[in-house]
Amino acid sequence: MVVLDNLSEMLKGVLEGIVLEIISRGEIYGYEITRRLHAMGFEGLAEATVYALLLRLEKNKLVHVTKRPSEIGPPRKFYTLNERGMEELEQFWTRWDFLSGRMEMLRNQGGKPS
Amino acid sequence: MSLSRETMDKIRKFAKEQSRYYLEDAEMTYMEKMRRKSAQTRDRIMKKLAKFKNRSETALEAQNDMILYMSDYMNDLIAQGYSEQEAFERARQDLQFRSDSDKSADLKERFTEYYENFDPAASEAIGLFYAGFLFFGVAIGGLAGLIAGGGKDAFLSGGWIDTLVGVLVGGVIGLGFGMISNAVVALKNRQ
Repeated sequence: MVVLDNLSEMLKGVLEGIVLEIISRGEIYGYEITRRLHAMGFEGLAEATVYALLLRLEKNKLVHVTKRPSEIGPPRKFYTLNERGMEELEQFWTRWDFLSGRMEMLRNQGGKPS
Repeated sequence: MSLSRETMDKIRKFAKEQSRYYLEDAEMTYMEKMRRKSAQTRDRIMKKLAKFKNRSETALEAQNDMILYMSDYMNDLIAQGYSEQEAFERARQDLQFRSDSDKSADLKERFTEYYENFDPAASEAIGLFYAGFLFFGVAIGGLAGLIAGGGKDAFLSGGWIDTLVGVLVGGVIGLGFGMISNAVVALKNRQ
């Protein structure tokens, strides 16, 4: 795993997109998303960040929630993307492509268009 | 992996306390946040009053989400070799609500500063000033009313109204002095 200081700060702007992409791949519950992020190498990510983000996604109606009984009492929420979430994800990748393209340009050519 | 009943009770308590902060932060609009900043005192009182209200379904959902999330996290930690107690402490620390807004951080700092500089003796002194001046005013006013009204005989034959007026006027004057003392103490504390 690559350890990068202050990665959380950089991730703030893109974490929502990352989580939307994970949810778009199939029904998933809260902590499983955190596990997936850890497996991807984002181990420094604060646990609370994903919990707070999921509350926000639900509040902004970007996900569809299905409740299923859990082994410890309260129903477990499983998330899937709804249409609005799909649109948001699409917009996220558009923004990302733009940003990463410009960043590459900056690194390779010092910001001068080829 | 199942957690002990004691730990589950701790998780429930923690989730009940912490989930509302996350929910509040996620649900508040910019204007609501601004309003909160301008009405700190009212908000504090409302939060205290909210404890007496039934919890909304959304709040309970957020609490349940946190219970499950925390349990999952703790199970992962236990699988890594943590004891149940250590896992709880770590999860509690990691899931403790921290606001990342500069404005709220600033607000918290000012609250902390206020409470750190808060002197209970000053509040006690203000209370004593009010009570002292009030008693003083009532006593002097009542006595002045009694004398001006014609003394004991006049009081007993219907002149009690003068004494009553004296008591009321004295009370008002006492409160006035109490307010002036309050202002003086508040200004001294500010310096």
